[in-house]
Amino acid sequence: MTANELREGYSVWLTEDLTWSTDYADAALTEDPEIIAKMQSVADRDVEANEVVGAYFIDIDPETKLPARYRERFRVTGPSNDLGEEIEKD
Amino acid sequence: MYRYDEFDHDVVQSRVKQFRGQVKRRLEGALTEEQFRPLRLQNGLYLQLHAYMLRVAVPYGTLNSKQLRQLAMISEKYDRGYGHVTTRQNMQFNWPQLPEVPDILQDLADVEMHCFQTSGNCIRNVTSDPYAGATADEIEDPRPTAELLRQWSTMHPEFAFLPRKFKIAVTAAPNDRAVIKAHDIGIEIVKNEKGEVGYHIIVGGGLGRTPIIGVTLNEFLPREELLPYLEAVMRVYNRYGRRDNKYKARIKILVTETGIDAFRQMVDAEYESLEPSDIAVSEAEISRITDYFASPQFEDAPDDSAFEAAKSDEDFANWADNNLSAHKQAGYSIVNISLKPHDRAPGDVTADQMRAVADLADKYSFGEIRTTHQQNMVLPHVKKADLQALYEGLKAAELAADNIGLISDIICCPGMDYCALATARSIPVSQAIAERFSDPKRQRAIGEMSIKISGCINACGHHHVGNIGILGLEKAGVEFYQVKLGGDSSENAAIGQVTGPGFSQEELVDGIERMVDFYLDSRTGAEKFIDTFKRVGIDPFKEVLYGNA
Ligand code: SF4
Repeated sequence: MTANELREGYSVWLTEDLTWSTDYADAALTEDPEIIAKMQSVADRDVEANEVVGAYFIDIDPETKLPARYRERFRVTGPSNDLGEEIEKD
Repeated sequence: MYRYDEFDHDVVQSRVKQFRGQVKRRLEGALTEEQFRPLRLQNGLYLQLHAYMLRVAVPYGTLNSKQLRQLAMISEKYDRGYGHVTTRQNMQFNWPQLPEVPDILQDLADVEMHCFQTSGNCIRNVTSDPYAGATADEIEDPRPTAELLRQWSTMHPEFAFLPRKFKIAVTAAPNDRAVIKAHDIGIEIVKNEKGEVGYHIIVGGGLGRTPIIGVTLNEFLPREELLPYLEAVMRVYNRYGRRDNKYKARIKILVTETGIDAFRQMVDAEYESLEPSDIAVSEAEISRITDYFASPQFEDAPDDSAFEAAKSDEDFANWADNNLSAHKQAGYSIVNISLKPHDRAPGDVTADQMRAVADLADKYSFGEIRTTHQQNMVLPHVKKADLQALYEGLKAAELAADNIGLISDIICCPGMDYCALATARSIPVSQAIAERFSDPKRQRAIGEMSIKISGCINACGHHHVGNIGILGLEKAGVEFYQVKLGGDSSENAAIGQVTGPGFSQEELVDGIERMVDFYLDSRTGAEKFIDTFKRVGIDPFKEVLYGNA
């Protein structure tokens, strides 16, 4: 389950303890319908509470454990070119 | 430059206040995302792939040094210390945070800037020739017309919810540097046989999914009829433009489906039904606006011997050779500043660089700066005698790349690195091409040519009109790139032809290199890439692109 934070706009993923993390490594990966239902209700609650926007489930590649869709993989890795990082290093 | 009057001030200030309230209500939960989304978009705030993105309007690409310094300040205070010049002459910030956006808008308003008309189905920020008011080849400065259109279109109540976004570009020179034929309406300021100045109106151009070169709607529109006539065009579009399918909603589809003659009749009928005097502005108002764009106080034929002498420095001579354009005033030059070093995203500019350009503009260009749709900047009025000192200043700011108009001066949209709509990355492709052709001598030997890259079919990177156009796509999680050849964004505007199956990034760069080598072998005299292409046709280029030659 992924979304964007309302305030910062950053991509976030729902963790096993049902909180949101900006680090995909913390994301809960599951096929268990019960957990999925629970995640959905937490997402609905947090959208309603204006914590996050646009929550949706994504498919995961079982081998790599990364998102199956190319676009979603990009949301995990971030831009391949961020001048901001370069500036920070200087 | 145009200075805001009290109405402009009030409008901008009240919009900041209004948006502050809207953000507050969103954060408190009084507005849902569904309710808030159109409000934030009306203020240029998008939610992109990784974060929010704020698009700041730079009307007709004109900035003063104070504004550029403010943009630098904003990028450091609220973002990650850089901005991105877009293909519509605007500036984007990639990492703003929602609670701070009202403060950013306030800081913009303090220097007469805003984010109006940078999103949504309205008349978007009007673009123009970045050499306006400076170039030797223009009939008049197109910015007073562009400013008139800005005032007319800003918050125009009738055109706030058009079938789709609407883009207008204005130029006054036969050399089209504003891609007017790829706009919903392109306006060319022309003279008729009697020597009167009026407007050549082109309609129905556009890129995107269905690229179309605009066609003439009116050969010569008398100056005073501009606003009523455009009002008639907009009304016809607003009424008959398709709203059932967003891919068919642009005016280009209406014009194509209706036929230009029938469309013209509809516009004429609408025009007849209007009361032009209700819409047209007075001569006095036009001259009030025009006065703001009066030329700066140029020196009369200043001595430029220092410039000629400075050319003994080879690096300076190469830069001068490539990055300068002819000015209307003897002894002056238009200076193009490349934002295309080969290791950066095209159009990115750091806060330090913005400040450096602002300082150099104050010192050498009457405080004026332009942004270009090629994602570069321009100092419009530099005395030739000052060029060497300016060059040294640009070098110190790492802004002295001498590749304007050359193969590494690539137009490139943000693509999958930032854009939520993308199908593939575009920035790394542009970097790989620029890297492959990084030898300045080789670039100069190749000469003028354009590569344009879009990260999806929306074509913000203008790939349809690149001599080589590249479209990033994705299949089964793998990026690939489709190539178009023979596009042209000049006054001879042409849509490129698709070559065939796509390539991986690596194959693509190799293929481009083979095409460039083929061009170098095949050209006659000083023929440009596009001219050789036109002469020999697509087939031989395709053969080398696919490695069949
Ligand atoms: S062309 Fe596509 S990927 Fe590029 S900026 Fe436009 S919408 Fe985004």
